This record gives sequence, structure tokens and C-alpha cells, in this order.
Amino acid sequence: MEKAAAVLVLCFATMLMHSVALAGPEEDRVAFVAFFKSRFPDIPFADYANGIYAIDRDAREQWLAIEDFPPYEFAIERGQALWQTAFPNGKTFGECFAQQQEDIRAMYPRFDELSGEVVTLEMAINNCRTANDQSLLAYDEGGIVDITAFLAFEARGKKLHVRVPDDQPGALQAYESGKRFYYSKRGQMNFACSDCHVTSVGQYVRADRLSSSLGHPTHFPVYRSKLGEMISLHQRFAGCVRDVRAKPFALQSTEFRNLEYFLSYMSNGLEANGPGARK
Amino acid sequence: MDRARENRLSTRLVVLAMVVIASSGCSTEFERQFADAERLRAEAAAAGSEWLDTGKLLDQASEEAALDNMDAALMLLEQARFQAEMAIKQGQREADAWGGRVVR
Repeated sequence: MEKAAAVLVLCFATMLMHSVALAGPEEDRVAFVAFFKSRFPDIPFADYANGIYAIDRDAREQWLAIEDFPPYEFAIERGQALWQTAFPNGKTFGECFAQQQEDIRAMYPRFDELSGEVVTLEMAINNCRTANDQSLLAYDEGGIVDITAFLAFEARGKKLHVRVPDDQPGALQAYESGKRFYYSKRGQMNFACSDCHVTSVGQYVRADRLSSSLGHPTHFPVYRSKLGEMISLHQRFAGCVRDVRAKPFALQSTEFRNLEYFLSYMSNGLEANGPGARK
Repeated sequence: MDRARENRLSTRLVVLAMVVIASSGCSTEFERQFADAERLRAEAAAAGSEWLDTGKLLDQASEEAALDNMDAALMLLEQARFQAEMAIKQGQREADAWGGRVVR
């Protein structure tokens, strides 16, 4: 009898664990926001769009000083020039997108039912080039990062509005895949993204404090002072994966796009405020 | 498979072939251990759990073998094999363990 009761309790616990792991995107987002609210009661929700500068007051002062002469301004200018330059067939980037230019950034990443995969802004830009018989831009070079910097700047103040449509099972699958990536330990250091950016958020790693995942995607691309150049969100993902001594996935790989999809959904409702400046 | 990975794999195979042709007794052991470690690395990669340095260790092992430094080559292969095995185990463990970390 006791054994049967123990088995029942175990079954119930397992079911509960699975149901929590498989909670829907909106339940996940509400719990995610509530976690950070509980960890940092004095930080207003909107401030998470500023990444680590919502948490680290000293670094925030330095950042605000840097913002007087933003190091990403040149990237915005270059991106604008690329965006406005017509392809040889006379068409422009703008004609590939259904939205007004200031509304584009906040709509990405999105799930594309036709291809059955997550499409990021970078990928949409390259899809546009393909549609206009142009070669693809490399994901680790300036051109595409500059264009996203321009679109991010145009979108400042627009709230992230990433959707996981109920009627597209592939979208939920991609979201779940990104969520699984986020919470899975990897690499020789045996760290999950969440180990640093949820469990240990705000703690010091040597001289730096760990940022919150709530708001991570809002300010990309960013100018990184230590690199002296602009980088995309996926380049940052690759850096983090490398830091835990795992082999990074390719930029714009399915793994990173799904991770971006999950993280962006978690930050829904925060204002897009890219491009940003980071250490 | 991306082009860089294809190139690295090709390089490893070429070096391995050179070693097999050029070396004497140790080559068979090296060849066997290299193939074994590479198979495990590929298994970890296919599971998305490959560690950062495993491929580099295999490359270094090939270089040492090409210089006929078989002791060093075999030691590097052992490290690569250990990393690959740990990465596979980590991936298998995480197949379920990740769910326990979800913010709720």
C-alpha cells in the first residue's frame, strides 16, 4: 500500500515537472518577469531594456557618459545608406517588408509558416537580397549589422511584440527548442544560460556583474568597447557559448534563431532601444 | 556541415592518411584511437553538445603524429576522447535535467 502511494506521488511529481517545463509561452513570460521583479523589487519593468545598466548603477553612469557621443552612430549612418541604396533592379530593402521602417525591428524574430522556421531580422534582410538577385551578406561582417543598427534606431520606443501563434505548431516547437537551449547546461564549464542570467543575475564575475535575460535582446546590435566594433545578438550568443567552453553554433543557425525567439518572447512589452553600447 | 568544419575534417583525414603511410608500429594504434575519438566527437556534435576544444585536440594530435611524436599524439587523443565522452553524457543528462531549471 505504502509502495503504491509512493509510486503515485512520484508519478504526480513527474507530471507536475513536465507540465511546468511545457508551460505555454505566456505563462513562461509572466513567471520570468515575476522572477526578476522579485529579485530586484526596485527596478521598474521598463528599465530592463537597458540590460546590465538596469542593475549595475556604477556602470550605468559610465554608460550614460558614453551615450553623449554614441560609438554606434557611424553604424547607423552606414546602415541607413545601405538601406536606402536601390538594388540594380531599382527596388529597395523597404519594398521587401510589409511594415513601415520604424515598425520592422520590433516584429522580429517571427515564425514563418511557409518555411517552418524562425526568421530573424538579419535573415529577412538577406532574404530580401536574394529576392533581388543580390549575394548574401555575411552575418559576421559590418554590412548586415549596420542595417540592423539603423532599423533598431528607427524602432526606438516601439515595444517588442514577438508572437508564437497558437495555430502554428511549428512556432511552439521552435519556441520550446529555444527554451530548452536556454536552460540546458553545456560546455566544459557545465553552465546553462540561465545559470548566469537568472540564477546568478546581478552577481559579480570577476569585475563585471551578470546581466538579466529579461531585456537581453532589446538593445542589439551593440557597440562593444572591448572589441571596438558592432556585434549582433548571435555574435554575443556565440561569445557566451564559447565562454562556457562549448563549441558555438553558426550565426543564424536554427539553434541560435530559436534561442533568440524564446528570449525575445520573454522580453515582450519592453521597448526596443538599440543599437546599444556595452563594455 | 559548414565549410570550415568540412575543411578541418578533410585536413584531419589527410594528416591521418599521411601518418598511416609514414609511420610504423604505433600508426595502427594511433589510427584506431583517432577514429574512435573522432567518432565520439561527431556524436557529441550531432547532439549539439560538443565542447570547445575537442576538435583542436584532434588537430593537435594529428600534427604530433605527423612529426612522429606518438606519445604526445596518443595523450592528446586520450584528452579528446575524454572530452567527447563527457560532452555526450552531458547532452544525455540535459535531455531531462533542463526542465528542472525553468523559471516558474
